[in-house]
Amino acid sequence: MAAKHKKSPPAHPLTRSQQAWLIASAPLTVAPGIAYVPGWLAASVGIALLWRAVLWWRHAAAPPRWLLNALALAGCVGVFLSFRHFFGKDPGVALLILFLWLKLLEMRQARDGLVVVFLSYFLLFTHFMEAQGLGLAGFTVLALVVVTAALSSLAQTRQSVAARLRLSALMLAQAAPFMLILFLLFPRVQGPLWGMPRDAYSGMSGLSDVMEPGSISNLSLSGAVAFRVRFEGDIPPRHSLYWRGPVLRQFDGRAWRAGFQRPIRRPQDPQEMTLTDSVRYTVTLEPHNRHWLFALEMPLTAPADAIISNDYQVLSKQPIRSRIRYDMQSRLNALPQTGAAPAPRTDLALRPGNNPRTRALLENWRRELNTGADAGANADEAIVHRMLDYFRRESFFYTLTPPLLDGRHSVDQFLFETRRGFCEHYASAFVFAMRTAGIPARVVTGYQGGERNPVDGYLIVRQSDAHAWAEVWLAERGWVRVDPTAAVAPSRIEAGIASALAEGEPLPFMIGADLDWLRAMYFRWDAVTNGWNQWVLGYDTLRQRETLSRLGMRQPNWKSMTTAMAVLCGLLLLGLTFWALHKRARLTPVLRAWNRLSRRLKRAGLARQDWEGPADYAIRVTQARPELARPMADIASLYIGLRYGKLDGQKPLDELRRLIAGLKIARQR
Amino acid sequence: MSDSLMDQTVRQAARVVLGKERQIRLALACLLARGHLLIEDLPGVGKTILAHVLAKSLGLDFHRIQCTADMLPADILGVSIYDRERSTFQFHPGPIFAQLVLVDEINRATPRTQSALLEAMEEHQVTCEGETHLLPRPFFVIATQNPSHQIGTFPLPESQLDRFLMRIEIGYPDPEAERALLGGADRRELVADLGPCMTPENLIELQRSLQNVHVSDALIAYVQALVEHTRRAPDFKTGLSPRAGLALLRAARAWALIDHRDLVLPEDIQAVLPAVAGHRLHPANSAPGAQTAADIATALIGAVPIP
Amino acid sequence: MQAVSAFKRWLFRLHGPEAAPIVLGQRRVYVLPTRAGLAYAVSLGVMLIGAINYNLSLGYALVFLLAGLGLVTIFHTFRNLARIEISPGRVEPVFAGETAHFDIQLRNPGKQARHALRLHFVDGETVSTDLPPDAVTLVPLPLPARERGWLRPGRLTLETRYPLCLIRAWSYVEPDMRGLVYPRPETAPPPLPLSASGDSGGSRSGAGNEDFSGLRAHRPADSPHHVAWKAVAREQPLLVKQFTGANTAQVWLDWDALPAALGVEAGLSRLTRWLLDAHAEGLAYGLKLPGKTLPPDHSPRQFEDCLEALALHGR
Repeated sequence: MAAKHKKSPPAHPLTRSQQAWLIASAPLTVAPGIAYVPGWLAASVGIALLWRAVLWWRHAAAPPRWLLNALALAGCVGVFLSFRHFFGKDPGVALLILFLWLKLLEMRQARDGLVVVFLSYFLLFTHFMEAQGLGLAGFTVLALVVVTAALSSLAQTRQSVAARLRLSALMLAQAAPFMLILFLLFPRVQGPLWGMPRDAYSGMSGLSDVMEPGSISNLSLSGAVAFRVRFEGDIPPRHSLYWRGPVLRQFDGRAWRAGFQRPIRRPQDPQEMTLTDSVRYTVTLEPHNRHWLFALEMPLTAPADAIISNDYQVLSKQPIRSRIRYDMQSRLNALPQTGAAPAPRTDLALRPGNNPRTRALLENWRRELNTGADAGANADEAIVHRMLDYFRRESFFYTLTPPLLDGRHSVDQFLFETRRGFCEHYASAFVFAMRTAGIPARVVTGYQGGERNPVDGYLIVRQSDAHAWAEVWLAERGWVRVDPTAAVAPSRIEAGIASALAEGEPLPFMIGADLDWLRAMYFRWDAVTNGWNQWVLGYDTLRQRETLSRLGMRQPNWKSMTTAMAVLCGLLLLGLTFWALHKRARLTPVLRAWNRLSRRLKRAGLARQDWEGPADYAIRVTQARPELARPMADIASLYIGLRYGKLDGQKPLDELRRLIAGLKIARQR
Repeated sequence: MSDSLMDQTVRQAARVVLGKERQIRLALACLLARGHLLIEDLPGVGKTILAHVLAKSLGLDFHRIQCTADMLPADILGVSIYDRERSTFQFHPGPIFAQLVLVDEINRATPRTQSALLEAMEEHQVTCEGETHLLPRPFFVIATQNPSHQIGTFPLPESQLDRFLMRIEIGYPDPEAERALLGGADRRELVADLGPCMTPENLIELQRSLQNVHVSDALIAYVQALVEHTRRAPDFKTGLSPRAGLALLRAARAWALIDHRDLVLPEDIQAVLPAVAGHRLHPANSAPGAQTAADIATALIGAVPIP
Repeated sequence: MQAVSAFKRWLFRLHGPEAAPIVLGQRRVYVLPTRAGLAYAVSLGVMLIGAINYNLSLGYALVFLLAGLGLVTIFHTFRNLARIEISPGRVEPVFAGETAHFDIQLRNPGKQARHALRLHFVDGETVSTDLPPDAVTLVPLPLPARERGWLRPGRLTLETRYPLCLIRAWSYVEPDMRGLVYPRPETAPPPLPLSASGDSGGSRSGAGNEDFSGLRAHRPADSPHHVAWKAVAREQPLLVKQFTGANTAQVWLDWDALPAALGVEAGLSRLTRWLLDAHAEGLAYGLKLPGKTLPPDHSPRQFEDCLEALALHGR
């Protein structure tokens, strides 16, 4: 009904300033995407924007339609050739960018401008699929201010650039409380509504299920955070912080692999549950696109959607594709493995014929021990100790840059020739040696140690903390952790990699830095990032409920959340209504006092007419209420002096206020 | 001192012109503000008497010009007559050379004569044959005009009306005043008996003291709002000129002075508004209702809130 | 149809012309999303689904921020229109067929400037304007004047989409205004009926005292003021200056003298044309209409009075 008179759609040709706004806002919306869209598209955006800017500068007309159509077609073909399909995130973003610059080239009417702005908003949204860091968030806010200013330019106003940006910033600031409320209270749905396109995850780094010489030392050069841990209570001593990751059993002479067997759920031992000396902690794990979750040895409970396998790996049912948070409980001391099943044969398997010198050494030890007093189980333990002693005694070095090991006899080469290596070398050689001695053994990879951020108390575990160690199966004791690296470089375990390496070894930037202030800044920054991750990015169903109950909501379910959301938004709207309707009185104190007089006398039916002068008013009031003659005369003379005469200052004003306040207006009989 | 002089003048004039104290005050205010007065009313309501009384009371010399259709500018301003004996032009001043000039029925004079008169009023001087002759000081013109549209008259054009600071109507006396008038002595005799209440010097001093009447910013804002309104509102054909705004302020100052105040109130503006703005505003034909000067002024006052 | 218009009058509180100033109180300002606003809402919906699907916390945040922006803009748009005071301004008379301009006075009492306000009468063009803070702005609104007589503009629509084009706030007011529309002057009329006006037509001489026309010999009764003293100074005899009166030609524009075959409107058109011609030539003219007679005169006032009489004849 109202639409009948609406002159819409507004057929206003875009003015030059509107075009300028739209052209200027485009680079900001496209910029974050340049890094991940195909190169040709990024180049085309640059060229198109430049072209558009030149057209604007020269007051030239938009390119002809056939050219634009051809460009659109070529662009679509390009997107298809790049992605082979049109569905999913990446081709979607590419198409959005394509449409944006085509629309920018083509725009003529205000309506085209609206399309450009909406595309811009959408594009800003899509960048979050790629990254959600603080930096991008800040950049997006900036871009939003500019895009919103561009939108406001479409409203046909004549405002300066600064005024427009101010308005845009003001409106976004006013919108922020709504964002906060909705963000807190909008019921979060966990997980995708439908299957994620395959390409949603790429480029995640971390431990893999293959360990070969160099794979962990490469990782050690990365300062990237693997996960962060918050302990309930104190952080346990550093030497007990073994974060268990993939367990590797198969050795091909060079690389250790997890093998293909399906993980078997370890039967829950009721006795374990009664242990009181366990630590509780929460891990926030960066995505690595694998199944395993890291936990301190030995994990007792598995989070939901995960199991503890019979080799004590904590395995998620879904690969970890986004940052997740899970609660864990572990026992730092070895578990009582009563009735432990004998180790499977795979943990003894070796390829025959390799590394003869190692075999010879171990067989020699075995013989010596078997002839000795403590045979059997104790002999196994003695062999373990001998091996560790061997590492300690001989001149082994712990280094990130070991010489290359080649050939079939890499273990021999390492143990007898180079004797320089990183944790994977020691773990690999150790497990191999144990197996040749007939002791079931396996490689465990994961992380060791971590660094406490003094700012927020989180323990930061980086990729550089990646580590490999060994486990041997001893009768009566079951699986026992043995860390050969500790034998060679005890400080690696006690103080971290930086202190264990010799001077001059390459190290990840932050790890080796001695600059305290830089470190302090790093910690602060990491605390901010972590807070961001925990509270903004990690704000999921669970965290939402937890937060809301901490905020005092008794039973946070979608009903109560929606109610609270509606109530709070309503309050905000009410506040905005007041803001919109609020009359800003810009009156001088004298006029305020004078108006107060009129308001007071209004009850007696003697409100001042707005055209009535003060003397006339006083006379009228006096005629109606003779008892007010004196005060009214005083009031009028003061007011006249203050407003129309040369009377000035606080004293007469106070007197005027006092007289007006003290006026006794009797009710009309 | 000066206050009492003004009061005496008003009182004395009010004894002769009965029941018209407001008009007397307006006329006096007009004089103090160095403006000229146009009285528009029917014959016989006392226009001439009012002028006479004012002249007498203020001690001004007084001339009266009765306008006719065959009158030439020279008849009012004066003429340079050739003196054959001395072979020189001798300027013979016209009746306009007086401190108070009553121009009766100005609308009977031709537009040519009218404009010559009004120019002299504006300039306070007469130029004849290249010679300039200053008019006396104080100089005050009271012109009268019959409101009715009669054949053979030349109503003052709107541009010329602006030369008069005020236009007032006298109107019939109220019953009480009328009875006193009928029962009293002959007005002309009364006028003849009047003595001056002040000297022209007193008057000039009073005119100067107008400067000292304080006008606050708030009041200026009010005048501005009034003037602004007339320029926009649909009730008027043309709004008040800046000159009219100044005239309003000047007249209000004089009104405040007569009221013994050293500051101007919105009430002063409202009091002089009909007289000052009435002849400068013309109701638009699209505006329904109000037509007379008083109606216009009342509507104007009511439409503009005092800021 | 009638029911709809009655409903509309009720909904939008339209009760005929209103007294000035008309204040746009909060109850009179209506707010609805524009088409762009609906499109905006739909895109937000799509983004929200994306945020849920990809579990994007910042995606949620962006959607919620933009949703907040959408809500906030309602108030900005509302505030841009509310509390404006509307008073009628001047309307200069026009001839039928021309465009009348209705001056609207818009007072912005607030501290904030108002932007991109659009005003139009029901069948008038739209005019866009900004209002500086605490000031009165005059906006002339064009309206085609089709017929002679009083032109009432009717309902005035004020609307704004400021600041983001997503929301439209509008209000209807009916200022008490009217403009005078004179009859359309005939384009090819017969000549001015000077001869038809009888006795006084065409006379352009006669004594007066407006324009100097010459000198004549002095007679004893002549006033000394009229003597040409400058001539005397040149040793000439006494001469008296002679003047002629102004143009005193008169013309009567008489309704009854028009051919009866001419209809009312055509007749008025012709009289209007003649009136314009007579005024342009500086003639004194009188107008005789059934029930109304204006004696000859040539003042501007006469011109307006005659045109008004023609415009309102029979209305």
